[in-house]
Amino acid sequence: MAAVGKPFGAMSIAEIQAGLAAKEFTAAEVASATISRIERDDAQMHAFLELTADMAADAAAKVDAAIAAGTFAEAGPLAGVPVGFKDNMNLLDTHTTCSSNMLANYVSPYTATCVEYALHAGALPMGKLNMDEFAFGSSTETSAFGPTLNPWDFQRVPGGSSGGSAAAVAAGLVPVALGSDTGGSIRQPASFCGIVGVKPTYGVVSRYGVVAFGSSLDQVGPFARSVEDAALALNAISGFDERDCTSQRADVDFTANLAEGVQGMRIGVVPAFMEADGLTEEVRARVAEAAQKLEGLGATLVDIELPNAKAAMSAYYVLGPCEAFSNLARFDSVRYGYCDPGHADLGAQYEASRAKGFGPEARRRIMLGSYLLSAGVYDTYYYPAQQVRTLITQDYDRAFQQVDCILTPVSPRTAFKFGEIGDPTQMYLSDMFTISINIAGNGGMSVPVGLGADTQLPVGVQLISPAFKDVNMFRAAAALESVYGPAPVAPQFAKED
Amino acid sequence: MKKLEEILRTWEPVIGLEIHAELTTLNTKMFCGCKLEFGAPPNTHTCPVCLGLPGALPVPNRAAIESIVLAGLATNCDIEKHSMFYRKNYMYPDMAKNFQTTQGPIAFCMRGHLDLDVDGANASERYGLADLKPGESTGNITRTEDGYVAHVGITRIHMEEDAGKMVHIGGGEGRIAGATHSLVDYNRAGTPLIELVTEPDLRTPEEARLFMQKLRQIYLALGISDCSMEEGSLRCDGNVSLRRRGTTELGTKTELKNMNSFKNLHDGLLYEICRQAQVLEEGGTIYQETRHWDPTAKRTIVMRVKESADDYRLFPEPDLAPYDLSDEFIESVRAKLPELPDDKAARFQEQFGLSAYDARHLVEHRSTAQFFEACMSDATHEAGDAAIKLAKPLANLAINDVAAWLNANPDVVLDESPLTPNRAVQLVQLVADGTISSKQGKEVFAAVLADDADPKAIVEDRGMQQVSDTGAIEAVVDAVLAENPDKVEQYQGGKIGLIGFFVGQCMKRMQGKGNPQIINELLASKLDA
Repeated sequence: MAAVGKPFGAMSIAEIQAGLAAKEFTAAEVASATISRIERDDAQMHAFLELTADMAADAAAKVDAAIAAGTFAEAGPLAGVPVGFKDNMNLLDTHTTCSSNMLANYVSPYTATCVEYALHAGALPMGKLNMDEFAFGSSTETSAFGPTLNPWDFQRVPGGSSGGSAAAVAAGLVPVALGSDTGGSIRQPASFCGIVGVKPTYGVVSRYGVVAFGSSLDQVGPFARSVEDAALALNAISGFDERDCTSQRADVDFTANLAEGVQGMRIGVVPAFMEADGLTEEVRARVAEAAQKLEGLGATLVDIELPNAKAAMSAYYVLGPCEAFSNLARFDSVRYGYCDPGHADLGAQYEASRAKGFGPEARRRIMLGSYLLSAGVYDTYYYPAQQVRTLITQDYDRAFQQVDCILTPVSPRTAFKFGEIGDPTQMYLSDMFTISINIAGNGGMSVPVGLGADTQLPVGVQLISPAFKDVNMFRAAAALESVYGPAPVAPQFAKED
Repeated sequence: MKKLEEILRTWEPVIGLEIHAELTTLNTKMFCGCKLEFGAPPNTHTCPVCLGLPGALPVPNRAAIESIVLAGLATNCDIEKHSMFYRKNYMYPDMAKNFQTTQGPIAFCMRGHLDLDVDGANASERYGLADLKPGESTGNITRTEDGYVAHVGITRIHMEEDAGKMVHIGGGEGRIAGATHSLVDYNRAGTPLIELVTEPDLRTPEEARLFMQKLRQIYLALGISDCSMEEGSLRCDGNVSLRRRGTTELGTKTELKNMNSFKNLHDGLLYEICRQAQVLEEGGTIYQETRHWDPTAKRTIVMRVKESADDYRLFPEPDLAPYDLSDEFIESVRAKLPELPDDKAARFQEQFGLSAYDARHLVEHRSTAQFFEACMSDATHEAGDAAIKLAKPLANLAINDVAAWLNANPDVVLDESPLTPNRAVQLVQLVADGTISSKQGKEVFAAVLADDADPKAIVEDRGMQQVSDTGAIEAVVDAVLAENPDKVEQYQGGKIGLIGFFVGQCMKRMQGKGNPQIINELLASKLDA
């Protein structure tokens, strides 16, 4: 039952749908109240870049019509649920900026499959969410339109690149948001904002219509405050798509075993990770505690090795920039996007438009990729990086012969302050525990396990599944949630109206 | 400049070809569902994928893969079961993604070859052919009775996508130089393209032309492209270098473009060989450059100097999974292979007793080969086994008269023309049984096309039946000899050229319908008696 005065964005999917079914409120009210709340409460935090009030109202009208017709049960798993989309996801007639000046005025002529699936499931589209420019970053500080603030502490970053999505859910503006994860871009901000964030196995969610960063690494997934809501959202957006030939036919109900508990599960722990340089004591303690809780619930902890994981970072910063260099080549000022005026020569127009349209981190990755793919250099970096990829995949294959799921830290530390990390290579270390999962392609998710003892900021643990056995990590995540409770709305946003 | 014949004594030309064919017979583009249509209004067949919009992803056209496997099987290539698409990165507005999706080191088709029959006048450009006896080989050629066979290696055939079409406005003749605007039509962007690369095995412009012709025949037989050199659905670039005869190291090559007809291909390569020879003989240097053949000025001009190899930053296309072709798939494609021109020529020799030369030229055009077969079928229906006697005259009709007529009237569709196979059989039958002379046969052929009438009716209406009745002819011969005793005397006195006079007189009396052979025989027997 909906608590009186509790904003819809702070409700669970079940609470919203129960209220709709009981006619305590209408979907139209959910849509309009949520838009109003975002307009009011997001003004300073800056999670949203664009609101889609009219689309939300249209979607709500369909849900309300279904309720009136007595067909609410068929209206879809996200019927009446406000959802936000990372701004690298195309939604017809809305801006898709990727938080870049390059695409500041770009309006989508089509809709991404994951967005389409969410809308088909009855979701109410609230708008587009801030991110690091073209998803290059771990803090949203590289957004050309200004950073998003961490709802727990406005002095701190929400993480990134899907920082807007994480902040919107953590602040209770929406129950569900979609993000994309190339090296940790869902899991790290989920951890920094204290919510659930899922990067499913590569191929579970179609990438069609999601602006590509690293095509072989990118994967779309949901943010939510509960494991069940995350599973429901993933149910809605996953599935084969003939427009993405890397998408897979894997009809899975991610909610299927949430109630099973972890009795009999073998959960891997990586001692080398727990002793890693840069891992703060407060995070280490929370992760160790989470492992013990799972053991207490009947799981067996198994020490495992991922000997090649240490090379993941190096491989990632070869493969990612190489693919990004090529994927971002289309932003050339000719057909759409920022065009620097006044050039008579094509080459000069290309150079000036790209120099001014892309921010520093985007330019850095493009130049890096261009160099790494050039003749004579390719064999030294790209090819070995692919070999490392095979080795890391084999590490996981071996580990998953022993265990059903692996538990690690998500981020070595809790949310840092704006400007605190200036050196890009230090920033890249934010993803030290998450990157190898994108390299191997299997599933990983961040689950909140309370606050760090020193910073009093959220800490997440990462659960890692074998490829296409994402249900394993959901099962363990639900068990942790039974101990720690669902994620709370960030305190300064939790005050009821 | 020196003539080719002279140049060849000192220099050996080395030619390799890169031949692009658009798979125009498919319904849709290589990586999206947009329709393939030549000449549609600009940018009407486009979508997020072929416009390279943010977030769009490619999905390969399976029918295109089938087409390239057909091409590979028909050109004796090994079909690679595991291959990948690659991204070839370069920035130009005709390629919306700013990379072209193509294949890497391993293409779908590798290591093929075609054997070229080079005969008659076509063989004249080969140096040193006279030193070989039929059956003898040197290098990649084997001497035949009337020319030679050249074994030409095919390095690979790979799959890629075409770029859009640029139109430059404001400059001269649509050139970019001086243009004020450049427009792009993306209708062509993403058209499935197969590129065949030959080994540098060709030595004469004729061989290059014949290779291109043969490949075109094969692609047409496979039905994978309309192979229009004019419209650009079949395009050929030539790489040419010279080396001193007797040496093995390759010289610096130039790449020749705009050879958009068989004649331009031959003439462009011929000019370039002569140009390079002159430069080298004057002590100059050949630069690695791209040159444009100007058929009007009859010379090649520099388009672009390549100081170093382009760096396309090729890497595996991560949006497309590595391609695995199953044995079942390859065999299912093999089962769809139609009869290829070489096989058809061999069958024509075997089945109809044609000469190798006739058979080869008969299959040069699919329409004439089909027409010949339809005629033989009709003849067999009428005459049974005796039809075999008509094979040679029917082949001649198809190779000479029909082909010349089709060449002069490119819009004609043979199947819909007045010349039905049945009429063609009637025509050669009328000549074969002596009803009309072969000269009259030409007249009847023209009349069939002009009047849409049966040859038998034409011959009857025009009273063209040839008189072959020996008795009737003998009476005329006797009359002519009786009327010209002086000429008979002169002939018998040694002026044998008068035979023509007697034949003419006989023909005149018979209104041209006398069988010339019988007239000749009777005159000879009576005059020489």
